[in-house]
Amino acid sequence: MPKRNDLKKILVIGSGPIVIGQACEFDYSGTQACRVLRREGYEVVLVNSNPATIMTDPETADRTYVEPITVEAVGKVIERERPDALLPNMGGQTALNCAVALGEAGVLERFGVEVIGCDLDSIRTGEDRELFAAAMRDIGLDVAASGFAHTLDEALAVAGELGYPVVVRPSFTLGGAGGGIAHDEAELRLIAGQGLALSPTTEVLVEQSIEGWKEIEMEVMRDNAGNGIVICSIENLDPMGVHTGDSITVAPAQTLTDEELQRLRDYSLACLERVGVATGGSNVQFAVNPKDGRVIVIEMNPRVSRSSALASKATGFPIAKAAALLAVGYTLDEIVNDITRVTPACFEPSIDYCVAKAPRFAFEKFKGTSEELTTRMKSVGEAMAIGRTFEEALQKALRSLENDHMGLGADGAAQFDEERFGELVAKPTPERIYYVAEALRRGWTVAQLAEATRIDPWYLYRMADIVAAERAIAELGIAGLDHEHLLAAKQMGFSDAQIAWLTGSTEEVVRAVRQVLGVVPVVKTVDTCAGEFAAQTSYHYLTYEEGCASEHVEAAKPRVVILSAGPNRIGQGIEFDYCCVHAAYALRDKGYETVMLNCNPETVSTDYDTSDRLYFEPLTFENVMDVVEAERPTGVVVTLGGQTPIKLARRLEAAGVPIMGTQPESIDLAEDRDRFSALLDQLEIPYPPSSVAATPEEARQVARTLGYPLIVRPSYVLGGRGMAIVYSDAAMATYMDEAAHVTPDHPVYLDAFLEDAIELDVDALADGEACYVGAVLEHIEECGIHSGDSACCCPPFSLSDAFVEQVRQTTRQLALACDIRGLLNVQYAVKDEQLYVIELNPRASRTVPFSSKASGVPLAKCAARVMAGERICDLGLPPEDRDYAYFSVKEAVMPWARFPGSDVRLGPEMKSTGEVMGVAETFPEAYAKTRQAIDYEMPAQGSVFISVRDADKRTIAPVAFSLWQMGYRIVATRGTAKTLRAAGIPCDVIERIGEGHPNVLDEMAAGDVSFIINTPHGHDSRGDGEVLRSEAVARGISLVSTLSGATALLQSLASLRREESLPVYALQDLAEGRVS
Amino acid sequence: MNLLVSSSSQPAALLALEDGTCFRGRSCGAQGEAFGEIVFNTSMVGYQEIVTDPSYAGQIVTLTYPQVGNYGVNDDAMQSGGTFLRGLVVRDMCHTPSNWQSTASFPDFLRSEGVVAIEGVDTRALTLRIRSSGAMRAAISTTDLDPESLVARVVASPAISAHNYVADVSPRQERVVPAKAEALAAREAAGLPKLHVVAYDCGEKRGIEEGLAAAGCELTVVPFDTPAARVLSLAPDGVFFSNGPGDPEQASQTARAAEDILGKVPVFGICLGNQLISMAAGAQIEKLPFGHHGGNEPVMNLLTRKVEITAQNHNYGLVFSSMGPLVPELSGGERAHVRDLRPWVERGVAPVVQTERMGRVRLTHVNLNDGTPEGIFVRLMDGWRQREAGATSVSPDYLCIDVREGRAGHAEA
Repeated sequence: MPKRNDLKKILVIGSGPIVIGQACEFDYSGTQACRVLRREGYEVVLVNSNPATIMTDPETADRTYVEPITVEAVGKVIERERPDALLPNMGGQTALNCAVALGEAGVLERFGVEVIGCDLDSIRTGEDRELFAAAMRDIGLDVAASGFAHTLDEALAVAGELGYPVVVRPSFTLGGAGGGIAHDEAELRLIAGQGLALSPTTEVLVEQSIEGWKEIEMEVMRDNAGNGIVICSIENLDPMGVHTGDSITVAPAQTLTDEELQRLRDYSLACLERVGVATGGSNVQFAVNPKDGRVIVIEMNPRVSRSSALASKATGFPIAKAAALLAVGYTLDEIVNDITRVTPACFEPSIDYCVAKAPRFAFEKFKGTSEELTTRMKSVGEAMAIGRTFEEALQKALRSLENDHMGLGADGAAQFDEERFGELVAKPTPERIYYVAEALRRGWTVAQLAEATRIDPWYLYRMADIVAAERAIAELGIAGLDHEHLLAAKQMGFSDAQIAWLTGSTEEVVRAVRQVLGVVPVVKTVDTCAGEFAAQTSYHYLTYEEGCASEHVEAAKPRVVILSAGPNRIGQGIEFDYCCVHAAYALRDKGYETVMLNCNPETVSTDYDTSDRLYFEPLTFENVMDVVEAERPTGVVVTLGGQTPIKLARRLEAAGVPIMGTQPESIDLAEDRDRFSALLDQLEIPYPPSSVAATPEEARQVARTLGYPLIVRPSYVLGGRGMAIVYSDAAMATYMDEAAHVTPDHPVYLDAFLEDAIELDVDALADGEACYVGAVLEHIEECGIHSGDSACCCPPFSLSDAFVEQVRQTTRQLALACDIRGLLNVQYAVKDEQLYVIELNPRASRTVPFSSKASGVPLAKCAARVMAGERICDLGLPPEDRDYAYFSVKEAVMPWARFPGSDVRLGPEMKSTGEVMGVAETFPEAYAKTRQAIDYEMPAQGSVFISVRDADKRTIAPVAFSLWQMGYRIVATRGTAKTLRAAGIPCDVIERIGEGHPNVLDEMAAGDVSFIINTPHGHDSRGDGEVLRSEAVARGISLVSTLSGATALLQSLASLRREESLPVYALQDLAEGRVS
Repeated sequence: MNLLVSSSSQPAALLALEDGTCFRGRSCGAQGEAFGEIVFNTSMVGYQEIVTDPSYAGQIVTLTYPQVGNYGVNDDAMQSGGTFLRGLVVRDMCHTPSNWQSTASFPDFLRSEGVVAIEGVDTRALTLRIRSSGAMRAAISTTDLDPESLVARVVASPAISAHNYVADVSPRQERVVPAKAEALAAREAAGLPKLHVVAYDCGEKRGIEEGLAAAGCELTVVPFDTPAARVLSLAPDGVFFSNGPGDPEQASQTARAAEDILGKVPVFGICLGNQLISMAAGAQIEKLPFGHHGGNEPVMNLLTRKVEITAQNHNYGLVFSSMGPLVPELSGGERAHVRDLRPWVERGVAPVVQTERMGRVRLTHVNLNDGTPEGIFVRLMDGWRQREAGATSVSPDYLCIDVREGRAGHAEA
């Protein structure tokens, strides 16, 4: 069937901020959808609150609303834009939930909006476990025995019938939030309690445990003619019990027979048919009993998902693009396969390589929480690798994670807890895979390990082979590795660094030996069809084969290699990928053949049509050099992918690789504290006094000179990893003890900490002659809160024009002094109207996408053009000091609920996973929008609990006074209450936690607390405050932990009282100065 | 198995192609030599089904998925009594499989079946070579490791079309396969009569026989050279021509039988069987440049407008335009034949030709990858009975479209 002509305007809903379980894969899918719909002639309206996305770039959709994904805001967009249809299956669970809510609120009906791509009933059947279980039984498929519970007692009763262990799955939460496996009643009480609280319908499914079964996912597509195809099967290396997002997964499935796989294929298609997925991509998850092949359906997602992004990258089949086309009426046979351009999309991809995905975790940032992996997803990112064997793919995936491991082992990176060794082999944690490999080295048999881990023996045999190969390499030594054996080592996925470690050599020597022996990688192509048809796209990976059948094709144009950012992690995520994508677009426009190098399957940068060529490879020196040697580019871009490529810059330059833009020398000048301090002294630019220390004794000496508080951090880190504010000698001693583990080779930096200073983030562009300040961002939270976790506003809301001009001048001075060619980011502190430089990042920063959207200047694109030789004065940029007609606020999104047990507080170490943006005519309104976008409840009445540290007692009074005036009941502990009463503010006193009742926990339990203002004491990390904050997170009560945040919140509450509801703005209108 | 793991237990092996290309590797099956036509198969699983599929008689099969043997072998996956292919080429062979059904490792199975196999080959490079040069003669050897010598011997070896492989793989005796009881019961309950089908076994896969039995047909399986008179004397409700190896021109006895049977009782066939029926209806047969070998061939059923994802293995196909002139009033007004049949898919028309021998024949299935015909529909000569009103009514369950091994979208009559 051809496309529908009755539709003109289509609304696409994005997935909002990056959170655990819902990351940039939805930017990838949403961007594909928007583009292809526009290409088909539809007008596309987009709503997404996440500014760090390609989809929210003003050129991706016709009308772009960076607004909260709420019924209210999306309803306003619908009212204004009057779309004919709504496509909700590209924006994850967030978009589906919003579509359901819009339907229930009658908005869709009122404005005659048709839901396309899925229908609301099938969403319900897919997501509601009770309906789903019934549907599956209808078509004769087994589901795990289970029962629903709406109270804790019901849950206990169901578990009593099923017998322990049981799996608890809350309804309608994403990424399995609030779920888990309970082995006994105590665990069930805990998990079910959390699950019931988190489920929007207060419902959990208590299910027979199938822990230890194989977990298989099928990615399926269906069109409205009833054609169904399976795109990819994905097998989890970790058996049932670990969330698929936290598992190492492998495509295609490795351990199922043809018959078993065909059965799953039939079941998946039947499942789609029954659930009623009209068109589009879906994901069906199965558990397969390894003992008898019995199959149980676990769940299905009637939308594109993280797994479908992975399946797209693993096979080359653009699931989201096809799903968008199917939604507007095409059938699968009418869509042409982009890669072959001769075959239709209606086929099942066949691949001739193995794909492994490994999750990236961030437990080090959430001390106190358990590292055990469960059915509740906790990873913050993932890396994918392609190899000709599983062994190769696994080792590549593990070294793509950038957590010091260069593969499965043989790199000196793993440290084993000898006392708990056996336990840590058996228990799934981020380190488990290394424990399994070590167990094999220590002589455990595959049978023993299979028993302990329930990992399929096939995977254990392959790891045993890797371990055996390690031994063989070590025995042969570097001199004994002839062509044949060195090739075999590379085919097993060993990196040069691992071979060097095993043979007591160096990476450089191994590389040289390889080249002498002719053991060099060949370029292979991802083509969806295992070589049956010629590929028209250049989506590649590198591998090792006997012979030299490289598929590399020379390009007529000069090539530029762009190094992207690798797996998402806290501190380095989608923002950097965004910059790389922009560079690819800009450089392609400049006439280059663009070559993207990345290993993150969730991103737009790894879409095969973002750049001219894509290499799916780890971002290690070895792999980057391999790509450089294959492509021989005229330049390599290292300053847009965050710290990952920056760290490689020096070595690449030394190896003769041409670096584009800012040179490694300048990078070093900016990143070396001593050199940079010297430069600041020379320029007479103030900065907080600082020093370095390599030992605890030195640190104490420094403290004596500079005085406490001090901000301490290891050198060369991103996202403030290992950073802390230290108030005493004792805390310093503890820190130094722990910091030694972070980066042993580097000393610790100590800076005087400017308490209560305002922090600024500046994103600028320089070309060696001129510097253009793109945006000055004023942070809401004071200095000391990591800039990534702080809300910020553009333009600044509390600084004078003259002061902002001074900020620009200083930035200019620094950019030119460091000879930056491209983007830079400077962080400043403002205290007593004095400007201090905190640091200069000689690269694109996390805030570039936000700054670009807030200012309307595409900074990353401009940077790429500058790197390609254009001058800033020729870019036609608007004046820096222009007046803004609107305020843009960015707010960070915190993952607290995923990490119970870790303290909920902002600090110098970044912990947020994503961000939202709010745009409005005033700062408070824009800030209010960010709160709505994150889904923070802001009740207009009820109690506000206030407990602040002594330093804040003076300034809390006006805040409390306003809250009281707005009608809130103020509740406080004795100390704060005394201050408030002295200021004439009536308030109720409650007991401190642990000192009696009623205390704030009782108040929260009673549901009386609307929100909490709690500023933690600098040195009190354990105690009342922590209990209070965790409880607030568990109950979903908004908590403000800084006074500046409280002030901003107060202003936004006031603005919400004035306005019935906040108006929505399209970016395209803002760019033209049309605000209302 | 990786060299660093296997030490030196595996003998060296050499693969040589008729165009002079050679690949070095190691033996992972029986030792010795095998000559045959080299083809590739893009299925990611099902290696045991492939090596026991009689259609591969005379061929050396390259598996494009690089790791083979992961789940071992089991009795249920056997498609016939043994293996018929000449040799197997893989990238990495698994010697330590894991699956609850596994009874032996795949390399052990190959050794016990005497199949010469080589691993360590860049199978993707080999596949691209076959894709650009077409199917070629080739050899695997563990004894002659001199490329020049082996290539010369390949060049001197006979072509696959020169031999009747059907005779090698077809059974000698007739046998009866009863219908599956539950299927029979279901047919009865629906008021449908019991069906008796005679199946010409030219190298039939077990999955297809099972599919027919599961659809409620009682089968009489007959050798490839059974005369038409014998078949007609069994008074079947339908005659099935199975898949099989090699060039259909070589299976002349079966082709003659098809000519005699066509028009008298409903006939249907897949792969080689379809080619034989088409020849009987007057079609020319051509050798496809690369053949269809894989588990994911998309075929458009022009009658239902649904795409069927099919598993196929054939090197030959019919030439639709050779069957006769188009009948414009039944072909959307079109008079001119097209070589690539995909325009019919776009127009949604199932064109009809007027044949000399068999009257009107309709094109029902088109391969979406290359626009070749995958199915035709020939009406019965005697009296336009209702049975053949649609493709699905001719054969119970549209036989060949069943999933799994039976998934092969080839025609019926």
